[in-house]
Amino acid sequence: MSTLEVDGRGHVGGLLVTNHTGRPLEFQCTTPVKPDRTQEILYGQSLRPWLLGELIGGTLLNRVSIKPDLVVVCDHEMLELRNHTRTPVACLDKSSSEFETTVVQSIGGRQLRFHDEHADDSAFVESRAHLVPDQADLEEPLGRVREALSETVKTVLAR
Amino acid sequence: MTNDAANDDSAVPIMCAAADLSVSVETAATGYNPALQRIPQIDTNQVQLNTTLDYIPAWKPRRIPIKCIGLTLPEGEHFLPTKEAKESASDGTQLRRINPKANAGANSSDRPKRTRIKPPSGAVSLQDRLFYLLQPPLETWLAGQELIMPFEPFPYQYEGIAWLFARHSALLADEMGLGKTMQTITAIRLLLRAGQVHRILLICPKPLIPNWQREFRLWAQELPIVTVEGSSSRRRMLWTMPGVPILIANYELMTRDLVEIPEEERPKFDLLVLDEAQRIKNRDSRTAQVARDVARRRSWALTGTPIENRPEELSSLFEFMDVVPSRACPDMRQLARLADEHILRRTKDLVMTDMPPRIDRDAELQLTEAQTSAYESAEKDGIIQLNDLGDAITVQHVFELVLRLKQITNYDPLTGESTKLERLTADMEEIAASGGKAILFSQWTKSLDWLDERLQPFNPLIYHGGVPTKKREPILDQFKNDPDAHLLLMSYGTGAVGLNLQFAGYVFLFDRWWNPAVEDQAINRAHRIGQKNPVIVTRFICAGTIEERIDRVLREKRELFEAILGDGDNDNVSLSLNADEIFGLFDLKAHSKDGARSIGPANPKAA
Repeated sequence: MSTLEVDGRGHVGGLLVTNHTGRPLEFQCTTPVKPDRTQEILYGQSLRPWLLGELIGGTLLNRVSIKPDLVVVCDHEMLELRNHTRTPVACLDKSSSEFETTVVQSIGGRQLRFHDEHADDSAFVESRAHLVPDQADLEEPLGRVREALSETVKTVLAR
Repeated sequence: MTNDAANDDSAVPIMCAAADLSVSVETAATGYNPALQRIPQIDTNQVQLNTTLDYIPAWKPRRIPIKCIGLTLPEGEHFLPTKEAKESASDGTQLRRINPKANAGANSSDRPKRTRIKPPSGAVSLQDRLFYLLQPPLETWLAGQELIMPFEPFPYQYEGIAWLFARHSALLADEMGLGKTMQTITAIRLLLRAGQVHRILLICPKPLIPNWQREFRLWAQELPIVTVEGSSSRRRMLWTMPGVPILIANYELMTRDLVEIPEEERPKFDLLVLDEAQRIKNRDSRTAQVARDVARRRSWALTGTPIENRPEELSSLFEFMDVVPSRACPDMRQLARLADEHILRRTKDLVMTDMPPRIDRDAELQLTEAQTSAYESAEKDGIIQLNDLGDAITVQHVFELVLRLKQITNYDPLTGESTKLERLTADMEEIAASGGKAILFSQWTKSLDWLDERLQPFNPLIYHGGVPTKKREPILDQFKNDPDAHLLLMSYGTGAVGLNLQFAGYVFLFDRWWNPAVEDQAINRAHRIGQKNPVIVTRFICAGTIEERIDRVLREKRELFEAILGDGDNDNVSLSLNADEIFGLFDLKAHSKDGARSIGPANPKAA
């Protein structure tokens, strides 16, 4: 799952469900979501976790017909999604200094971080790590999501 | 304060405090305004304090409505699991999973190259474009647990696979030897896996069917393939049998069988692949018409020589690919634009920079005494006969003389003398002594049989159209595996296309074909991927003969079509001789009482 900021129009989010080898099964993306000024003031620092994780992430996860076993996000603020779903959520650890979370798991050539209040997610991922090929790159599908989001935004804006 | 508290008077504390209301007034010394010296009067009014607010700002969190756009990707075909990587393919090739370089963390410069599938320009709908964008990079897809590849494809092959995967109309025109077969099989494999195709028809020349079967076993052994062969009734059953993902047939059977099946019963395909697609270069040919009539959603053509003679041949291929209307005749500029979109062509020079070189050498030979005598006599008599024909002459008459002279340059039928055989024997002794292997091409099976008798010390093997199909594969196997078999004698027609003979380091063109593109195809049986050593190509040309004249004409025409297929493609696109040029090989004159005048074809392009 990944999001993209569209100039002046807010954020769009995309969720690509793949099998364990990275083959795409289903893709869902949102139209742009933009908080109003009141929301920006009142949510303060919790605005992005609410917007990206709860609102966009929650909508996408509810929408997909193929429910994933694990949601991988690239933005640690999207870990907020985990507070609103029973599905484990992991964040790719690109820069550990940004994170407050401390639970780390290595898989698919990447470090994954989990929500501090859902540390069990790490054990869940570990129990299924054998399903992920050694050469898999967990970040790669997120690039596809961003590319698909860009294409969607471009197409929608052109209409 | 809550509303309840505000309504309860007893709960409201009353605050009282004394205020000093004295005011001091200073006046100017001039005393002009004595009124200012009066003490100001202050009145007080009692005002009731409000106990409720006029405006209470209210805000309730609301959920922003979000719309979603979704795409469910089709479920692909499932096949029986492949054998474990440690096992071998049927031809003994060790199979393994591709294992790209491990991820190198966040350092993007260390990451392995990724070949992404790009949406074709014809994909208009968002869903179509997303389908292609969401596919994984080929390197990771092919490295997945479900696919086993015998070898890691080259980067340009990954690009070719991605290009084919995304196209409904495609002409893969890579130079011979760059792996068109493998790229096609892998693209088919991925399309089946992605649920984009379910039923594929592959048409190729008959001699290449064993090659395709072998390549499918090598590159996609889990895919079931069925070859159309056998009796008429059996073939009819195979054409229409449901549940066959890949059907392979030769051009002749396609042309013969499909028209005999009632239209409503004719099979429909998701993909039709024409190998050696130059077979449909003539759009009016029966083969081309039948190919165009096959019901299909995707049309791919494979050929190393998209233009053999005239640019118009491309029009026929484009018509098959449904990118030009029926009978359309695009001009050169339009052809170039269509080629940009629908043709992918790479040459060895561009992509295989580390491939061993091909070393061409023209062996200019002098005819033996007996050959010279026979040649001069035949040429003199032949020209006299042609001149006598006058305006009744046809290109066929001239062609027959050319053939007769070419045969004499191979060997004198009367004495058996052959300058080419002498040179060949000398070369073969050296090749055999070093344990090497050579392929020899001739346009005549009779010449091949003649050579076979005279080259026995080198254990020659013969491979031409007269050899039954079932015996051909064993011949190639013997040539590959028997260390004493040093020479394979092949005809251009049978051996020039589709075979992988990269273990041979020498190629002899005993006589010249009419079209250098066909010669290149023949040479590339040996000079192709997998070749570890330079390939020495020897063209036998007898000085002062028809061979030299033909060679000169063909060389002069090699660069004409560069404009269509782009740079770096000067060597492999060429023209064969047309009628005008065949007439031009001789100085033909019709003699009459008015004198001599040149004679030529009624239609110069009718060859």
